[in-house]
Amino acid sequence: MDLWYWITDLNNSKMVALLLFFSTFVGILIYLFSSRKRSERLESYRFIPFDDDEPDQKHQDGKHP
Amino acid sequence: MKHEIIETNAGLLIALTLVVISIGGLVEIVPLFYIDDTVEEVEGVRPYTPLELRGRDLYVREGCYTCHSQMIRPFRDEMLRYGHYSLAAESMYDHPFQWGSKRTGPDLARVGGKYSNDWHVRHLIDPRAVVPESIMPGYPWLARRDLRYDDIERRMRALRIAGVPYSLTEEEFAANVERFGEETARQLDIARARENLEAQARRGNYDGDPSRITEMDAMVAYLQMLGTLVDFTRYDEGYFVEFR
Amino acid sequence: MAQTPSADVDRSRTQVAPSEQYNYDIVKKFAIMSIVWGVLGMGVGVWIASQLAFPFLNFDIPQITFGRFRPVHTTLVIFGFGGNALFATSYYIVQRTCQARLFGPKLAEFTFWGWNLAVALGVITYMLGYTQGREYAEFTWQIDLLITVVWVAYFLVYLMTLLRRSQPHIYVANWFFMAFILATAILHIFNNLAIPVSLFSLESYSLFSGVQDAMTQWWYGHNAVGFFLTAAFLGMMYYFVPKQAGRPIYSYRLSIVHFWALVFLYMWVGAHHLHWTALPDWVSTLAATFSILLLLPSWGGMINGVMTLSGAWHKLRTDPIMLFMITSLSFYGMATFEGPMMSLKSVNALSHYTDWTVGHVHSGALGWVAMITFGSLYHLIPRLWDTKLYSIRLVYVHFFLATIGIVLYITAMWVAGIGQGLMLRAFDEYGNLSYTFIETVVFLHQPYVVRALGGGLFLAGMLLMAYNIYKTVEPVRREAARQVASGRTETTASASRA
Repeated sequence: MDLWYWITDLNNSKMVALLLFFSTFVGILIYLFSSRKRSERLESYRFIPFDDDEPDQKHQDGKHP
Repeated sequence: MKHEIIETNAGLLIALTLVVISIGGLVEIVPLFYIDDTVEEVEGVRPYTPLELRGRDLYVREGCYTCHSQMIRPFRDEMLRYGHYSLAAESMYDHPFQWGSKRTGPDLARVGGKYSNDWHVRHLIDPRAVVPESIMPGYPWLARRDLRYDDIERRMRALRIAGVPYSLTEEEFAANVERFGEETARQLDIARARENLEAQARRGNYDGDPSRITEMDAMVAYLQMLGTLVDFTRYDEGYFVEFR
Repeated sequence: MAQTPSADVDRSRTQVAPSEQYNYDIVKKFAIMSIVWGVLGMGVGVWIASQLAFPFLNFDIPQITFGRFRPVHTTLVIFGFGGNALFATSYYIVQRTCQARLFGPKLAEFTFWGWNLAVALGVITYMLGYTQGREYAEFTWQIDLLITVVWVAYFLVYLMTLLRRSQPHIYVANWFFMAFILATAILHIFNNLAIPVSLFSLESYSLFSGVQDAMTQWWYGHNAVGFFLTAAFLGMMYYFVPKQAGRPIYSYRLSIVHFWALVFLYMWVGAHHLHWTALPDWVSTLAATFSILLLLPSWGGMINGVMTLSGAWHKLRTDPIMLFMITSLSFYGMATFEGPMMSLKSVNALSHYTDWTVGHVHSGALGWVAMITFGSLYHLIPRLWDTKLYSIRLVYVHFFLATIGIVLYITAMWVAGIGQGLMLRAFDEYGNLSYTFIETVVFLHQPYVVRALGGGLFLAGMLLMAYNIYKTVEPVRREAARQVASGRTETTASASRA
């Protein structure tokens, strides 16, 4: 109950929330950029939009001037 | 824990996104309904009379809020130009609020009583006849059209559901007498809406034509009461600072 | 929730043409309507801009006075032009990145007719004087209900198509579209809570009042910008920029950070539209803080888009479509820098209520939203109809008209906004106000003329695009019609021979 009163005080909850958000953010960054293997795996998904390219690349952006 | 789990699972992606987008709104909006001093009660603030209410409807209909704000900020220039800064209580019966976001024309939060009825009528019909440099559109049809008020009771009932203390029952009326005084309480009684509206239009003669009740009557009645409800001479300077 | 049905399916593609494999028909419809509404909406925009410069243009006609016409403009460009473009691109992207045909063709068809009916009805009712009086949410309550139903259908179509994917991963563009669909649903429902005057009345009163109503409205208003006009268009960016460049997005990891940070932060910042008002101070301080933080994911996204082109900058010299996309990202970067700056309370004290805000919105709306849409549509439309663009030269002309138009527009609005803001707070040596309000209005005339001109150039570019697209699509349609006709005569001929 004491903890409840402590946390509902705006000054305290502000700091707690800030710490929480910031550590989540840093956590995500560490997760994403720390391991080389994981990075390579994640970056391989960049190519999804190209998975369904039509076999014949007659590209349709018109006659260049 | 891998991010791939989210990327390969549409349901999880949706659930997580919902959680993440809900936090901000919840933290900022929900407390406004529960923290008591968000809107401090101030003496004098009352719901609109039937005629003023119809005027306000027209104000919304014509999109006046696209060019006029109703929210004076606590700056020296604004207070010199428009008057005391706006209090939260002053728009507590505004469904919807009309604070606005752009001042192509001046703020109107305290325009009531600054000009004569006659000035307003001429200005609304042809703004450049009164203020040559004005870029406001004319609203001549307000003076031509009869005001529709056959649904005034329905409007007040709808607002009553939204929380405006218009009275339907004896008890509600008595509560209003207690809260706003007898005279105002009568104005807020839904059963007397029509006679109140007609009486105020006749008494005020806002459009200068006593023979009929036009949209101009309602619009000017509304403009003339804007910002006049709170008597700021009764308070010390700085009294409202804590309400802001 | 359902697991991916075919997570381990091998990616061998079916060897049918994309136009048969995917539902292109619905994408085509939305794409064309986007251009139609775009022309109309920008036309109305130029008209109301001219009304501010030359007020006689109101003509004392109630239906076209500025107050009623301005929501017509915003609705047409945001929900008509932008909305249809989003439907078109999202339906296209979800099919192409999932390699699955769109779920529920009838339901998708319903979203098309329902959405466009809502836009058309909205515009007509505003002109007749029926509005909720809430910016960007002026639709009357019946139309709000229609939009809600359409949106649920949209969500279903999108989700079910995602679940059909023959690809284990959901590509990042789809996350943005999904967040946009979810957030828009929440915003739309809560901001439009209202009590109708009666069952048969178009009018209603909002459920909330005053402070709470203001907060709800700007929570909606700013997130309409954040999710409708930003997140969703980022979805567009994450697909079309790589496709047009022929290179994958710069960094997938950056896009993960970008996505989560953006959707989290945006929801906090709406209250920066209410600085110095009767809204409690703590809310507006919180909003200002998060607005500053929002700069980071915004620029992360911009960098991700622009750097996609790194090593292939020469493409900018030969490809006007790429030019549209990269310029749009530059304007996105500029607007998302200007925004946090304007959300600082001290800057906001000057900028709020002035044309600076209008200029800021348009550097986002014209520079970012419209430009990325133009680029995407120029990429998309030839592929939908399986043809070539009628004229690349016209795309160049469009690009320069649009860019010059935007620059004129925002410069004029900076002058107007900052100038008026300074005049309004100027005092003379005796401590009196230096200017009356009407004197500042006189000052605004010239910037307003320049703004209308800038808008006119932008509209001219839009008209060129409509012409270019018409000339691109029309021959294909005629050819298709001819083939159908000759096919029919052949069959009748063979039938008569028999």
